[in-house]
Amino acid sequence: MEDNGGEDPVNNNNDTTVSSEGSIIKVTVKTPKDKEEIAISEDASVTQFKEEISRRFKAKQDQLVLIFAGKILKDGDSLNQHGIKDGLTVHLVIKTAHKAGDGASSSTSCTSQVGSSSGSSSGPSSAAHSSTVGSTGGPASAPPQTPNILTGFGDLSSLSSMGMGSANFMELQQQMQSQLMSNPEMLSQIMENPLVQNMMSNPDLMRQMIVANPQMQQLMERNPEISHMLNNPELMRQTMELARNPAMMQEMMRNQDRALSNLESIPGGYNALRRMYTDIQEPMFSAARDQFGNNPFSALGGNSDGGVQPSRTENREPLPNPWGPPSSTNPSEGGGGTGTTGSSTTGSTNPSVSNPLGVNSASLGNGMFSSPGMQSLMQQISENPQLMQNMLSAPYMRSMMQSLAQNPDMASQNPASSPSAGTNPAQQLMMQQMLQMFAGGNASSQTPEVQFQQQLEQLGAMGFINREANLQALIATGGDVNAAIERLLGSQPS
Amino acid sequence: MDPNNTSYAVKLYVYDISKGMARQLSPLMLGIQLDGIWHTAIVVHGEEFFYGGDGITNCPPGGTSLGQPNSIIDLGTTEVTEEIFMEYLSSLGESTYRGNQYHLFEWNCNTFSNEVAQFLTGSKIPGHITDLPAEVLSTPFGQALRPLLDSINIAPQGGNTFNGHYGQR
Repeated sequence: MEDNGGEDPVNNNNDTTVSSEGSIIKVTVKTPKDKEEIAISEDASVTQFKEEISRRFKAKQDQLVLIFAGKILKDGDSLNQHGIKDGLTVHLVIKTAHKAGDGASSSTSCTSQVGSSSGSSSGPSSAAHSSTVGSTGGPASAPPQTPNILTGFGDLSSLSSMGMGSANFMELQQQMQSQLMSNPEMLSQIMENPLVQNMMSNPDLMRQMIVANPQMQQLMERNPEISHMLNNPELMRQTMELARNPAMMQEMMRNQDRALSNLESIPGGYNALRRMYTDIQEPMFSAARDQFGNNPFSALGGNSDGGVQPSRTENREPLPNPWGPPSSTNPSEGGGGTGTTGSSTTGSTNPSVSNPLGVNSASLGNGMFSSPGMQSLMQQISENPQLMQNMLSAPYMRSMMQSLAQNPDMASQNPASSPSAGTNPAQQLMMQQMLQMFAGGNASSQTPEVQFQQQLEQLGAMGFINREANLQALIATGGDVNAAIERLLGSQPS
Repeated sequence: MDPNNTSYAVKLYVYDISKGMARQLSPLMLGIQLDGIWHTAIVVHGEEFFYGGDGITNCPPGGTSLGQPNSIIDLGTTEVTEEIFMEYLSSLGESTYRGNQYHLFEWNCNTFSNEVAQFLTGSKIPGHITDLPAEVLSTPFGQALRPLLDSINIAPQGGNTFNGHYGQR
């Protein structure tokens, strides 16, 4: 034990104060809660380091666990050995409670306690999940302590590792749901199960289940149409009938599409609007569906691939007889091209589960986005950023954006605006700007006059000589000539 | 003190929470190309750990509502045992990684993954993940959306949260 100020680099095992040996390095010791800089000799051993640390952190040496570069520093090692140099950071964990000998891997006793872990989690990992952690060291030696730890993990996690009877139903539900969403065939298989069918034939039960979902409740508050729909037992029964029979569901959807396409043919200009509207309305529907949580029968609605794509495919099968839509029929027209299979706009006036926001297509004749569903959606979005985030994080948004991006012209000219004084002008403007932005829009760099040049000319040719008013109307309707005309007509003395 | 010298693999699970949307829309909306909005989690000892609006959460690997990860990055190995790791995490969960401290840009799942990765292995997670918020904020759109994004909490469902020390709720 010569005190010769640093000439003896091998001297690692003594217990003298470290300051006289080797050069001092400053090592940062970081715990989860704070960090300190500790000066220590670079030749020091881990033991010495720990001494210093225990002084600083006021903990016992055997409670200290030092980690550097993924390795646990053992007392017999030296700092040098681990490459700990000046300025580096070493992690420290201060063990809180007593522990028995080996703090080794996860306990198998837990698994045996809770039985086989089937269901959502894999065997060994769920054992680890519910295993003894922290205070107990030995795996097999601490069954009495496991209940504490398990509650620390949150409510019967041992049961959840069994995959059933879990107090945490949500977790199980969600996993099931994600599986279902990714595998629609499984869904139809489930539907065919007589037990499920039995359950579904009881409308009261279904209603209770649906209403019990908190997201559903929220949705119901926002959209009274939904609660109306749920309260109507006839409708529920019909819906479940449909749900049970996917073919019938598809049929009905197609009927609605038929009616819709019939409507489309009336005013030619509505065609484009309609298409876009459907693209937006379908994701809206999906939003409601997503919020429904595990509404299994919604996915059955004749959609392809788990049903999140706004299909632009044609109806491949022969279409049924067009049944009387609210206005003139023209069955051969407009049907194939738009082919909105799987979309959920309704031809009838009853909101059905496939159209939970209760959009009445009869009102479509007056303006796409004046529908209550869309309006309330926009309002909710602007009020609640969380909802926006939810929407954005859903896969269907991608498809919606895709279609918007593909039709930038349409997007910039036909934004969500209602010709009547229904919508909040601020919302209109916002929607317009949003859409322009989505379309890569630099379209707003032009003045409205230039932008609407063509439309202005059209209006002029039709006999609307008040250019000012025309311009105003066009701005309000975002360039939609027809809507602008209506607006102008409404304000002119006749 | 620790007779156990085995090492455990540490992996980083990377999820794109925009599900491909960011890749398509980012040039359009932001003016830069983002390949994804990354959510990361550390997988070690057969469990997945991540930080979200609910605090530190764990679940079986790939067990959140995000499904399977987009990519899995190998971070190396660690000698840290499960016991020590749990202690560490619960300390973190009480101090610097509580649920209410979550901030989408500044103190998020990736911050957590980075810290834990360094603790476990000494190495950090890939830069393109941690640089993402800065990239987004450098665009005008990002700046404009900032107030909105400040209030967003991302918390993938499907896990159990660490609620402080064991036995306490």
